Amino acid sequence: MSVETAVETKTIFGSEVPQPPQHGAAGGVMRGLNFGTGLVGGIGLAAVAGWITAILTPSSASNASFAPMEPTYVYLAVLLGWVVGFMLGIGAFVGPLRWVVGRDVTHADAEYMAGKDLGRKRYWKYTTDHKVVGIQYLIVTMLLLGFAGLLAMLIRTELGMTWTSLFTPAFYNSMIGTHGIAMIIGMIVVVSGPLGNFIVPMMIGARDMAFPRLNALSLWLFVAAVPMLVSSMFMGGIQDGWSVYQPLASQAPVGMLGYQMTIIVFAISTAVASVNLMTTILTMRAKGMTWSRTPIFVYGIFAASIMGLYAFPFFQYSQILGLADRVFATSFFDPLNGGSVWLYENLFWLLGHPEVYVILIPSTAVALELMPVFLRKPLFSFNFAVAGIVGVVALSGLVWAHHMYMTGWAPAANYPFMLSTELISIPVGFLVLVAIGTFWRGTAWTRLPLMAVYAVIFNKMIGGVTGVYLSDVPADQYFHGSMFVVAHFHFMLMGAGLFGAMAGIAYFFPKMTGRFLDERTGSIGLWTAFVGFQITFISMFVAGLQGQPRRVLDFDDQFNLSNWISTIGAYVIGIGMLIFLSAIINSWRSGVIASSNPWGSKSLEWQTETPVPLENFPVLPVVTERPYNYGVPDPYEAELDSIDEDLTEKAGTK
Amino acid sequence: MSADTLIPEEPEAPTNRPPSMQRVRLWLQRPYARKVLILTVLIGFLLLPLAWLLLAGMNQTGAPASEIMKDIEQTVFVFTLVSIPITAFVFAVLVYSLIGWRQISGDEPPMQDSPAIRTNTIGVILWTVSSTLLAMFLVVWGLVELAQITANSYGTISADEQPGQKSSEIINVTGQQWVWTFEYPEHNGLTSDILYLPLDRPVYFNVTSKDVIHNFWAVELGVKIDANPGAITQTGVTANKLGTFNVRCAELCGMHHAYMQTQIQVLEQDAFDSWVRESGGKKTS
Amino acid sequence: MSTSTFPVSPTTGEPISTIARRSRLGLWLVIVADIAGTIALVISYTYLWSLNVNGGWAPPGATLTANQTNSTLPTTPSTATFAVEWPFWGILLVLIVATALMWFGYRSARSGNHAGLIAGAGLSFLVTVAVLVFQWIQMSTFPFGAGDGAYASAVLLLCASNIFHLFLLLFIGMGIFMRARKGLIDKTNWYQAQLASYYMTWVCIAFLLGAILTTFLVESPNTDPAIFGTFKQQ
Repeated sequence: MSVETAVETKTIFGSEVPQPPQHGAAGGVMRGLNFGTGLVGGIGLAAVAGWITAILTPSSASNASFAPMEPTYVYLAVLLGWVVGFMLGIGAFVGPLRWVVGRDVTHADAEYMAGKDLGRKRYWKYTTDHKVVGIQYLIVTMLLLGFAGLLAMLIRTELGMTWTSLFTPAFYNSMIGTHGIAMIIGMIVVVSGPLGNFIVPMMIGARDMAFPRLNALSLWLFVAAVPMLVSSMFMGGIQDGWSVYQPLASQAPVGMLGYQMTIIVFAISTAVASVNLMTTILTMRAKGMTWSRTPIFVYGIFAASIMGLYAFPFFQYSQILGLADRVFATSFFDPLNGGSVWLYENLFWLLGHPEVYVILIPSTAVALELMPVFLRKPLFSFNFAVAGIVGVVALSGLVWAHHMYMTGWAPAANYPFMLSTELISIPVGFLVLVAIGTFWRGTAWTRLPLMAVYAVIFNKMIGGVTGVYLSDVPADQYFHGSMFVVAHFHFMLMGAGLFGAMAGIAYFFPKMTGRFLDERTGSIGLWTAFVGFQITFISMFVAGLQGQPRRVLDFDDQFNLSNWISTIGAYVIGIGMLIFLSAIINSWRSGVIASSNPWGSKSLEWQTETPVPLENFPVLPVVTERPYNYGVPDPYEAELDSIDEDLTEKAGTK
Repeated sequence: MSADTLIPEEPEAPTNRPPSMQRVRLWLQRPYARKVLILTVLIGFLLLPLAWLLLAGMNQTGAPASEIMKDIEQTVFVFTLVSIPITAFVFAVLVYSLIGWRQISGDEPPMQDSPAIRTNTIGVILWTVSSTLLAMFLVVWGLVELAQITANSYGTISADEQPGQKSSEIINVTGQQWVWTFEYPEHNGLTSDILYLPLDRPVYFNVTSKDVIHNFWAVELGVKIDANPGAITQTGVTANKLGTFNVRCAELCGMHHAYMQTQIQVLEQDAFDSWVRESGGKKTS
Repeated sequence: MSTSTFPVSPTTGEPISTIARRSRLGLWLVIVADIAGTIALVISYTYLWSLNVNGGWAPPGATLTANQTNSTLPTTPSTATFAVEWPFWGILLVLIVATALMWFGYRSARSGNHAGLIAGAGLSFLVTVAVLVFQWIQMSTFPFGAGDGAYASAVLLLCASNIFHLFLLLFIGMGIFMRARKGLIDKTNWYQAQLASYYMTWVCIAFLLGAILTTFLVESPNTDPAIFGTFKQQ
């Protein structure tokens, strides 16, 4: 038993709180740990693990097809060493270990870990403050999206140069695979990560997330996952598309391990982040913030978290099974030994479709969130917006097999899956209704965030309508696996998802950085990218209609024209995105200083000062009214009311 | 209308007119409402050619060469038509919001707020009902077409006319990296790397793969099914147009996926028979 | 040790009951994710069991029903058969004992019986170690290896998932025990022991699912693999 000592206390928000004994300076061992020690730990342990594995593996080890196993074991050891070493080096295990030995975190420790008085150094540490985590997420996501965008440019260059070939088929295939999965991961994170972490706790009037240390954990697991994905490019690459269908994936070079480890780690990161966001939203809303007073963006993030929570484990297990097949010679997906390729497809798409909504719902929600502010009127039919989100979440888990109409796994199942898939157009339609209802008769304050919403809704309509063809089995019998599909999901994920994220970043930029996103450069970038986007993907629709399969390096001459146009469009997107990126960087460094509430918003996150203090709110706010309380009484309504009264009077006198 | 049925004009009794109808009538009198509706019609007519353009894109290499492909194109055509009104309306609101309703630029939030329309019961009901009806139409259309395509693929085999008898042809399709092999088990196991099909006769495919997943896509015939290792998938088609068409692999299958394509030759029965004879297969008896 | 009658979190100053409520919700959500993962395993097992692709479900040495043939070369001598069933249930039983001990510790903590808490948590930890050892022995003595067909793969993965869960339980059990000894879990602040009990209960259910699968779904019902060259109407 511990010896009784005099209990120290600390004043937290005006009350005396007894403290556990403080060991050393505040923060303890965390004082010495940062991103640098993480890198040292990761690279060091990776090198040691790889070296030991290379020594221990007999050089004769080979798999059933007589390929040597040594590279597989060594690469796996290196990846595991990297993750463990990096997390060790950055201090992820300090908290759990302190919990086990019973050396609890004091208030001073917690403040150090939240980055108090650390200045810019806090962005390089295992910092628990949700605002720091949000900024860190933003930077990492932009790096990842930039990497994937670069690959997209290379892919389009190859496809545009129809007279020659720039890359080997193997490298081309590894580019499309890496581009796909890097974009998917980046898009999953791009709203929920930066905005979900930075904005949501403030929007609901909380001081931090429910589990601040888990917040840091989810971020740094994500950071640990990204280099593994990039490293696979140098180990033979992911030559199987982003969906890495088995058993093609088991033929792939060892680079596939990079994909599998990335997904396994990223799925943990997503699950942790989802648990954290959901708990925060459910238990930490400000006093008086009932569900009808909760902003729609919070609903969007909550919905994405639900889907992330139940769907990602399926993805994770599909990759664990694939990894076991590769490393331990099991036969989950090997048809020669009783494995089934349809098992992989089912597990994969059980994630694969909810994941689309994990991307779409938050960026739709952020668009709906900012519209009332710029149109100076309430969100049209808040209940329908909520119903739309709930409907999408409810149906999201029941539609996965529409990716498998043409696999022949269960032809009879095509009927119910077509039904559930087409039903999803109803809740998505609700969200469109809310958007156009909010535009209705609104005086548009045409700043960049609102203008991006026009682009989002335009793209979403095109993506939605083309999605209807694909949800229909007969039409899908022509479109499945063609460029039409590629164009469709780029309209959804990029056209609606990424442009929505750009709207959200432009909107919250003043709160996150204290400066305005430069209106002029930002708009030029946005609209250049928008025009390029239409050129690229509308001509890609044409290629699909003509019958060009997706993921091909070379094709018949009949597809040349649409591919040339598509490539030109892609370069325009690239230029537009670079301009937008330069707007972000320049504005961050030297933009116009913004006041704490430059858009005149009524929601909680804008009521704090900028830069936001560590505890967000010195006094926790109390919510007394519905969100989006903008607007003046409708003159037409008054007129109608008087007519109604007239009618009633007449009816009464008759 | 004859004169004796004319009723002398009377002021309408207000109780006969439901207030909601009254509201709709008043609403239609507002200038912006009419303009948005006109814009909707305009945009709708602008989008209308898409219905034919989509088919033109699909027909570039000779499609439709089967009933299945005709069904597919009909579906695409109808879906385009029914999506145009709703798309046109949304685009009209977007456009009118930019050019019709008031706009403010500048650095400061607008001083004057917009009308606080929190909801509009009639509008919401209209939207819900119409979008639900639309979705239901799509579902029903899809289910019916799917049943029809299934019938056209392999459902028409009657009990007394099993496959293997004269009128139909069975072809075993095998994908492997990166070639297609077509085996005609009813003709001494004749194999070919070009798909020869007899005109106007049902053909049934047993599709499988020797290594990874491929996808057997007979483009102009509208046939598509995965070739899975460890499983046999089945489909079928009746080609009704002579000519040369394309088979492509529509599932990434490794390095030379792009080159995994071959031809379809749809031949008259005589020509098909002589091809079978010349290639050493047994003549269809 | 907090002597205050109104226990609060030392880091944020919020009441322990608030923290407990929040953590409980967080734990439920973690369990939801864990359930999804376990369902993925169950799907994998049952899907491969029901399909019996190429007749490759059963290990090569297992006695096969009439039409069931293994079309591939066996990768190991055909001594590989199905696993014995009772060890799955035995391991589950021992784990249930460990869970009951943790529950006992937690109930003791709530009623102020500190010695009971320490004994419950400590014994639970020791029994969990025993479960891990048993699980390891079972895994290393299966009559098949990883390459012996889909059944072997699925069972080995279930066991690997069990081992992963057991390591988590060891970590949690160790923490509860150490913290109980330090007096950080007591009559006013018992929620961590409660969460540990909840989680252990869920792990028991996961083990139960594995035991049910490996006991009742052994021989594949699909004894008629597809034959090439004929057209079956669907």
